[in-house]
Amino acid sequence: MKTTNRILRAGTMLATALVMTLGVAASAKADTTLTVWDWKSGDPTTTPYYDKVKADFEAAHPGVTVKFVMQPHDQYYTLLGTAIAASQGPDVVLVHGGSQAKERIPAFSKLDDKVADLKARVAGWDEFAGADGSVYAVPISIQGLAVYYNKELYKKAGLDPEVTPKTWAELDAICAKLKAAGTTCFALGNKEGYGADFFYSAAAANALTAEQQAAWTTGDLKWSSPEIKAIVQKWVDTQKDGWYAEGANSTAKFMDEYQSFERSENANTIGLLSDVAHWKEFDEFLEPQNVGVYVLPPVSGGDGKLRMPLAGGIGYAVTKFSPNQDLAAELAKSFAATPAMQVFFESAGAVPSDTAVDTSKVESPSAKVVLGSLSDGAPLLHNNTSTAETEEWHRQSQMLFTGETTVDKAVARLDEVQAQAKKK
Amino acid sequence: MAEVQTREKRILRILSIPMALLALSAIYPVFFAINAALKTRKGYVLDRFGITTDPTFANFSQAWNQSRLSEYFYNSVVVTVGAVLVLLVVASMAGFALAILRFRGRKIIFITILVSLMIPVQVVLVPFYRTMIGLNLIDSRPGLIIAYTAFFLPFSVYLMTAFYARLPRELFEAAQIDGANLLKVWWHIMLPMGKPALVTLGILNTLYCWNDVLISLLVLQDQRTLMVGIAALRGEYTTNVPLLAAGICLAAAPIVILYVIFQRQIVNGIAVGAVKG
Amino acid sequence: MTETVIAKDSKSAATPRRKSGGHNAERLAYLFVLPALALVVVFRIIPLIWGLGYSFTDYDGMSQPRFVGFDNYIGIAHDPVFLDSLVNMLILLATLPIWIGLPLVLAILIHQGVPGGKIFRAVYFFPAVLSSVIVGAIFNVLLRYDGSFNLFLKAMGFSAVDWLGNSSTALFSLIAVQLWSTFGMSLLIFIAGLSTVSSEMLEAAKLDGAKLLQMWWHIVIPSIRPIIEFAAVVTTIGMLTSMFGLIYVLTAGGPGTSTILPEFLIWLEQGKMNRPGYASAISMVLFLMMAGLAAIQIRIMSRNADI
Repeated sequence: MKTTNRILRAGTMLATALVMTLGVAASAKADTTLTVWDWKSGDPTTTPYYDKVKADFEAAHPGVTVKFVMQPHDQYYTLLGTAIAASQGPDVVLVHGGSQAKERIPAFSKLDDKVADLKARVAGWDEFAGADGSVYAVPISIQGLAVYYNKELYKKAGLDPEVTPKTWAELDAICAKLKAAGTTCFALGNKEGYGADFFYSAAAANALTAEQQAAWTTGDLKWSSPEIKAIVQKWVDTQKDGWYAEGANSTAKFMDEYQSFERSENANTIGLLSDVAHWKEFDEFLEPQNVGVYVLPPVSGGDGKLRMPLAGGIGYAVTKFSPNQDLAAELAKSFAATPAMQVFFESAGAVPSDTAVDTSKVESPSAKVVLGSLSDGAPLLHNNTSTAETEEWHRQSQMLFTGETTVDKAVARLDEVQAQAKKK
Repeated sequence: MAEVQTREKRILRILSIPMALLALSAIYPVFFAINAALKTRKGYVLDRFGITTDPTFANFSQAWNQSRLSEYFYNSVVVTVGAVLVLLVVASMAGFALAILRFRGRKIIFITILVSLMIPVQVVLVPFYRTMIGLNLIDSRPGLIIAYTAFFLPFSVYLMTAFYARLPRELFEAAQIDGANLLKVWWHIMLPMGKPALVTLGILNTLYCWNDVLISLLVLQDQRTLMVGIAALRGEYTTNVPLLAAGICLAAAPIVILYVIFQRQIVNGIAVGAVKG
Repeated sequence: MTETVIAKDSKSAATPRRKSGGHNAERLAYLFVLPALALVVVFRIIPLIWGLGYSFTDYDGMSQPRFVGFDNYIGIAHDPVFLDSLVNMLILLATLPIWIGLPLVLAILIHQGVPGGKIFRAVYFFPAVLSSVIVGAIFNVLLRYDGSFNLFLKAMGFSAVDWLGNSSTALFSLIAVQLWSTFGMSLLIFIAGLSTVSSEMLEAAKLDGAKLLQMWWHIVIPSIRPIIEFAAVVTTIGMLTSMFGLIYVLTAGGPGTSTILPEFLIWLEQGKMNRPGYASAISMVLFLMMAGLAAIQIRIMSRNADI
């Protein structure tokens, strides 16, 4: 009893001392520190890339320290939002291309005159450009949607593993055959709605004309238009036809869906070109010669050509409130330096935005297909969809699966959200 | 009478079966996490629920070293201990004044503190962050200690006030005859007398501070705390469940060990602190 | 000096007496509450008022906020997602009796000396020490369609249910997990409360021939009413302010809007949608609704604290 009292009192004194020293806790600053926010630098596969960027930049700029702060991806945009609102925080930030970058352009510095020397060598700028065509971030990866398939399961179902579908009807036939063999056709995780995102974006890539893609970006092509509605209808039909396993709404796309594909529980999955859920990862589980890749055929329309849907993936922007504008822009550029990009490609398997990276040594058959498709791509529709629409589509896509809504009601609701979001 | 008692006992015995199942469910997550942490990433993907036959400790060492968890661990300890001590001192002082002393505005102050108990963190996120910046408290451990104190204080003040209000008044009367001043009364009487409630609050606040993610994320951006480190392990795409599980085990271990050691005090403390005697 | 400020009993407390030096002591009393009050005002009350200001603007976190009057509030009233989140909140609140009843029944059983009671008491509290990140990550795996819970059901001969992917079960699954992870706290509070019920009273009732259930209902529960109220208050606050972590990890608000609570929607609007002004308006509506509830709670809490 006595001892506890003494401990309690000692603790109290300590606490009081602590409170009093709080005011004194001033921080000593080094010469110049550039703070970078991302959600990747702690990932073991990307560490070599980040180490390289930091080492090279610090060697070229004595007295400057580069500090990577990895934020949990869950909270990333909330944290970035608070930093932007307070005009204090990181100098350089990683952002996703498309609407996540574009909706935050007022907070980023214009980079046009600073990146002129990169323009030719690096691809993927459109996803980080403002309405005026100016560039606000340096892309570091090319992202896209490809269908990966399990050749072993194709063989088991009596399919030729080297023949990939060129039209939706052919894909339908493949799924029917797989189903008859007792194999689930597609892995699908739609807990956060990403499964539905990938589906409509991949299905639209070769279905829409360039004009229609542009009309989508401006909000003139509606969800209720025949082209888009047909895709929403297919979303529902494919579920009814038994393309997916039960429980898609409670399966996270990252990584539950892909893990089930890696366990050979299903034959196809819509995956990515960079970051994760790509050839490098599937090769590891299914063996390279067993992994195939193709472009999802359009639901309807198209010119018969299947272009890989791709765009700038992620990129580095400079915040307007950074006190070191020039240095920060230099740093953003150095993320796309060829030697660093080479490391990024080799260790993480990301498709680099830098076209000078040597990819010739890759052995993986699916990687060869992916890399060969980069020169002629189709736009990624979901990158040009407003966040409000995307959130609503996540919800509607889930309710279409549970049967709580119909295609007509869903597209009507999405039209409303689209009209409101693209009004500005 | 005896018959009634045996029937009662039989009913209790039958009821203990569902209660035991519930107890098992409370333990299962621990088993699951440890089991997963002992698998390799590939091993986990291929078999998630099976008991691992070929355990590896690589995840633990990787989580500890590569993910800077050892550094985060230190931060968590410093911040949690600091915040809990400050919380106890501030709450005990306020509780003493609100429960025992009489002064104008007492009720308003008490209600203000209670109202703040009902403001969800999300509601004040942006203004809170700007306030922290304005006071130059971002990116410092003392800053996080202050933030935790501010967020977890209302409940602590409430509990201390409720607790002190129930103490027999003779204590203070005796003190005032001795002519002790308020500070002495607080130090020599209130703090020792408040021990049961202080222990309860110490435990609860340790849990809150240790387990917090959101406030810590906002305030400490370079120096991280352990739970934030764990949350970051979840990454963009929960790629590596065994690594995450290993991190979870490491992060929860201190709390679980504390709980096992102080189980009796915790149970009694919550009892005495929360209940009108 | 101190005699003027230390109340002799609760009656004299109502009318503070003043003697010479009373001012000085009163000032000292303010010094004691000042640290607590300052922290609460600076970090919670002022941000709340600040947020109220934002709610009348089109603030997007980047450009200068522009005053838009009640536009945000009108927008909320027509926002089906917000309205759904309110319905979900009401459903959540309606489950309060379970949150109180379950631990109460368990506490009574443990108090009655159920075999293994001591172990149960210790183990039941265990989930409460785990962070929601951990609880969520684990239940995510357990409750999936191909998770262990469904495997167990199938082994027992039942059919599998998509607990988190079905609009009719997702919210209840979420509530059940939160209940699972917090009931230990109320349980301990109830056990403590029960130990204060005098055993003579119970013996007397037994001799009068009262049945066990009657005895609990008519004697024990009324005598621990303040404790039940206390637990109800603490539980309600927890329900309305600390479900976020679990929602994020378990369901992300889906399917559809079935597990979106206002707290989660605020986060969504503020972070992903980048609309702090709109999010502030939702915050204010949520806060106002809680204020109604809070009035009742403050009355209970003030009574418990004898203020």
